[in-house]
Amino acid sequence: MSLLGIILTFSLVDNIVLTRLLGICPCVGAPGGMRAAVGTSAATALLMSLSTLAAWVLETFVLQPLDIDFLRTPAFVLSVAGIAGFLDWVARRTVPQLLRLAGIPLAGIAFNCATVGVAIIAAKGGFNAPQSLLVGLAAGAGFFIALSLLTAIRERLEVEKVPEWLRGLPLHLISAGLLAYAFMAFDRAFLSRLFRGW
Amino acid sequence: MWTACEAGNGWELCAIMTESNRGMASPQLAVSPAPHVGGLASSLRLNWSVACCLLPAAAWGVFLFGVPALEVLAVGVGTALLAELLTGLAWGRMTVRDGSAMVTGLMVGMLMPPGVPLYVPAAASAFGIVVVKQSFGGLGRNWMNPALGGVVFALFSWSDAMSRWLPARGAAEGAAALSPLSALRNALAGGKAAHGGLLALLGANGYPWSAADGRVVTWVNGHVLSILGASLPRGAFDMLVGNIPGGVGVVSVPLLLVGAAYLLARSVIRWQVPLTYLVTFCVIAQLFGGLPMGRGWLAGGMLFQLFSGSLVLGAFFMATDPVTSPLTRWGKLIYGVCLGILTFFLRYFGAPGDGVPLAILLGNCLAPLIDRSTRPRARPSGKAAMA
Amino acid sequence: MTPSAGFTKGLFRDNPVAVTLIGLCPAAAVTGRVIDALWMSVGLIFVLVLTRLSQTILQAMLALTESASQSSPSTEARPFRWLGSLVFASCFTASFELILLAFVPDESASLGIYVPLIAVNCIVLERFAASGNREPVRNIGRDIAKSLQESGGLGVGFAISLIAISLVRETLGSGTITLFPIGSFAGTIEAGNVSLAPARALAYAGGGLLCLGYLAGAARLLGRLKGRRLEGQGGTEAERS
Repeated sequence: MSLLGIILTFSLVDNIVLTRLLGICPCVGAPGGMRAAVGTSAATALLMSLSTLAAWVLETFVLQPLDIDFLRTPAFVLSVAGIAGFLDWVARRTVPQLLRLAGIPLAGIAFNCATVGVAIIAAKGGFNAPQSLLVGLAAGAGFFIALSLLTAIRERLEVEKVPEWLRGLPLHLISAGLLAYAFMAFDRAFLSRLFRGW
Repeated sequence: MWTACEAGNGWELCAIMTESNRGMASPQLAVSPAPHVGGLASSLRLNWSVACCLLPAAAWGVFLFGVPALEVLAVGVGTALLAELLTGLAWGRMTVRDGSAMVTGLMVGMLMPPGVPLYVPAAASAFGIVVVKQSFGGLGRNWMNPALGGVVFALFSWSDAMSRWLPARGAAEGAAALSPLSALRNALAGGKAAHGGLLALLGANGYPWSAADGRVVTWVNGHVLSILGASLPRGAFDMLVGNIPGGVGVVSVPLLLVGAAYLLARSVIRWQVPLTYLVTFCVIAQLFGGLPMGRGWLAGGMLFQLFSGSLVLGAFFMATDPVTSPLTRWGKLIYGVCLGILTFFLRYFGAPGDGVPLAILLGNCLAPLIDRSTRPRARPSGKAAMA
Repeated sequence: MTPSAGFTKGLFRDNPVAVTLIGLCPAAAVTGRVIDALWMSVGLIFVLVLTRLSQTILQAMLALTESASQSSPSTEARPFRWLGSLVFASCFTASFELILLAFVPDESASLGIYVPLIAVNCIVLERFAASGNREPVRNIGRDIAKSLQESGGLGVGFAISLIAISLVRETLGSGTITLFPIGSFAGTIEAGNVSLAPARALAYAGGGLLCLGYLAGAARLLGRLKGRRLEGQGGTEAERS
């Protein structure tokens, strides 16, 4: 897959939140405005790209040669957790004020099924090292798209008088569902026609 | 976006939204005085004028396609009204009388192919009203256009039924009824090439233009255009008037434009979104549209694109929905441009069909974000750039 | 608290998917078919119960060694406890993956990446659980029983939610109900007239999120109605919001 193809696939066509349905909890559940959304997305994108790279390293140099891919889950989960912890530690040491100001949550929040899921998808996709990194970044970009759209919708919903039984998370989930339908406009056929047409 | 309402600028569209929910508006919103204050009556007038402006095009669809079209429209409107009634009963708030469900149902019906099984418009209307509108609190509180939400739901649920068309009046017998866009896709995929524009291409591939079209085009070519040395291709009259297979209410562009002109004149809808939408789309389509077709630059056939599919209906009646489009002036312009770009990509590269419903749906998703970015930061007493 | 109260708590009142709203990713993603929901629930129960059990036993062992050395349990042990549960969870998930691959490979293919992701499911990692096992261990047997009950209750609650969503989604979205093939039963039930023209949009990603949202809303509505009824009877049941 070409680089542009990877970017478009993992950010739009196979959007990690709206198509693969990973990372719903931080997108739908997390409170906070657009700043927190940007911060969460940045942390998630960083963690995703490092995780996909680590996943590629593990897959290429450990799992395949030793024929132990049944250990993929523990290996990936623990490596992603380790990277998340490391990023957390680095952030606390270097830019604690920035974190407080910008409201960026610590990297611990970025560790969720989306990050591990992307690592697994990247490893199974047979990409090489730079492509794996790009997969992580593109997935992070897709996460950002979904999160920012949902945050804007959520901010709009907060001032409305919605049915009480649907207020809050249920309505956010329904909005995410409608968003997912809209994003079905970007499918694989669209991508292949886009590249073929030009 | 609520700063405008709080400031009491008297921006009438915001006032209509709050007025129609008089007594239900949340305390922090100021119900600002507007030219047409009237609460329920004002909302009903608004929706009734929109419905009236849609009726000529809908009537044309019934004239063209007959009873199936009428059934589709009736089911669409009926289900929408029923759904609004039932949800109103369950919720204790009757909003059926404000006419918005009728407009939603009418739009759903108009976007449907005429021969479609009746559970499709029923499901689309019900989904639109219950899930897209009422779940969010009813009129003014939804962020997605209910009619479009329902139509896209139907598009994904019953995609083969939604792409089966009925032939136009007087079309040549025997040929399968294809909408111009589908026929164009087929022709480009494996049909015969032709000189001239897209209509010539369709003609070369056997598109069944009507006999009336043949007569009119020949007459015009012979008596008028031969003086100028130009000629109209076969199919120009059919496309112009709207005698083509397509959705019930979307085929007749002139009638839709008449309705839209009335609504614009009465300031029910604003010109910013439709104008930017159509201009952006036409420019991009004309410039780049020919490239994926292998016809080179500046050969996109923008007139053909304008008259096919639900572009005009979408641009004037759906993209202008004040509830689901941005409020600020700059927001509307950006929104229009985004819609133009999205429609171009989805129509040329997306799933077969009209890119318009999905493009406007994506625009609805972007609208809160656009609103947020173009929100005026000036003090309420300052000069806010509101449309 | 009665012995079984821990179990029933997770079933409806504290149902993880419908009420507490954690562990949502598989709930939206694998509920396209009933059989997928069933196997995902089995997997989650397997991993959840075993992980919590291992955690409890480990904690008991640590508490024993701590009490032997007369030192107080430190609060800094918490991130390591989290890491411990992560190790347990991922190992048990890997085991379940292999079991699935061995006995029902079709299902393994159908569930795809959601099986490995059980390891990072929020329910399993009790990231947001109110009941942190922070009390000192007094009775190992009782703690083991309690953790079994709670995790069992959460797991079965998860299963109930998932099966509810998948019944709606598959019936309306594909017109079928897919179950285990037993004997002469091929495993798929056709759902009457709906199977002629199902609303396929419900089988897609958006449909999962919509059903999940309405389930959560319905759970809240039921909670409110129940609370109102009990309040009318002078009950002390607090309203679930």
